[in-house]
Amino acid sequence: MNTTLDTRDSATIVMATGRLDFEASDPFQKELETVIAQAATRHAAVLVNCAGIDYVSSAGLRVFLVAARSAKAANVALSVYSLSVAVKQVFDVSGFGRIINVYEDEASALAGVGSAA
Amino acid sequence: MITRQIEVPAATENLSVLQAFLEDFWQAARLPLEAQFAFSLGLEEVFVNVVTHGISPSGAGRVFASLVADDASVELTLRDDTRAFNPLDLPAPDLEASLEERPLGGLGVHLVRTLMDAVSYRRVGDQNQLTLRKAVVRAAD
Repeated sequence: MNTTLDTRDSATIVMATGRLDFEASDPFQKELETVIAQAATRHAAVLVNCAGIDYVSSAGLRVFLVAARSAKAANVALSVYSLSVAVKQVFDVSGFGRIINVYEDEASALAGVGSAA
Repeated sequence: MITRQIEVPAATENLSVLQAFLEDFWQAARLPLEAQFAFSLGLEEVFVNVVTHGISPSGAGRVFASLVADDASVELTLRDDTRAFNPLDLPAPDLEASLEERPLGGLGVHLVRTLMDAVSYRRVGDQNQLTLRKAVVRAAD
C-alpha cells in the first residue's frame, strides 16, 4: 500500500494504491488520521482516490469507517472517489455508500466539496 | 482436478504466505484473475479471525489451507486447531445503520458469505473447518 498527497486549496487528495488488507490497514489508518488533523487546521476537505486500491478486506473497510468518524468529529468533509472494481464491490455489499460520500471522479468529488462548504 | 495444500502457524505474518500460496495455485490452475479476489478476501477474513480470536489449547495454533479446482468451481478449505468457533453463527450486520451506530467489526463474514456461492462450517475432531466454494470458469486453452 502506497499513498501520495496532493494538497490543494480546498482539499487534500490522498492517492492510495495497492492492497488494503489486514497488514496495510494500521499504517493507512494512521496516515489518514494525520491528513484529517492537518486538513482541519486549514478548513480543507479530504478526498481519497481509490482507483489504485485493487484489494480491500473488512480490515480496510474499518479504516474508512474510523476515518469517517474522525473527519466528522473534526468538522472535515471526507469523500472517496474513482472506486476500483474491488472497492466498489466491497462498498456495495457493506452498504458503505450510506455512511461515506462516494463520487465518480475527482472533478465531481471537488465539486461536492464546494457545494458542501 | 488440481489440488494443493499448505500448513502455517496461526500468526498474522503468515497471511502473506497464504496469499502467495493462493496466487501460485491460481497460476498453476490457469484460473481467471478476476475470480481471484473473492478467494483472496475469503482467505484473509477466515485466517485473521482465527489468528485474532482463536485460542489454541496447545499454545500456538496451526492453520491448514487446501485449494481444489475442477472444471466449474474452486473450493477453499481452512482448518484450524483453536477452540470450537463457528463464525457463521455471528449475527448479520445492520447495513442500514448510521455512521455512529456501525460497529467496527462484523463485516468480514458478511463479505465472505456474499462473495462466495456456498460457505459451510463443521467441527471435525478438535478442529474448526470452513469450506468456501464458488463457480469459476477456467479460461480455454
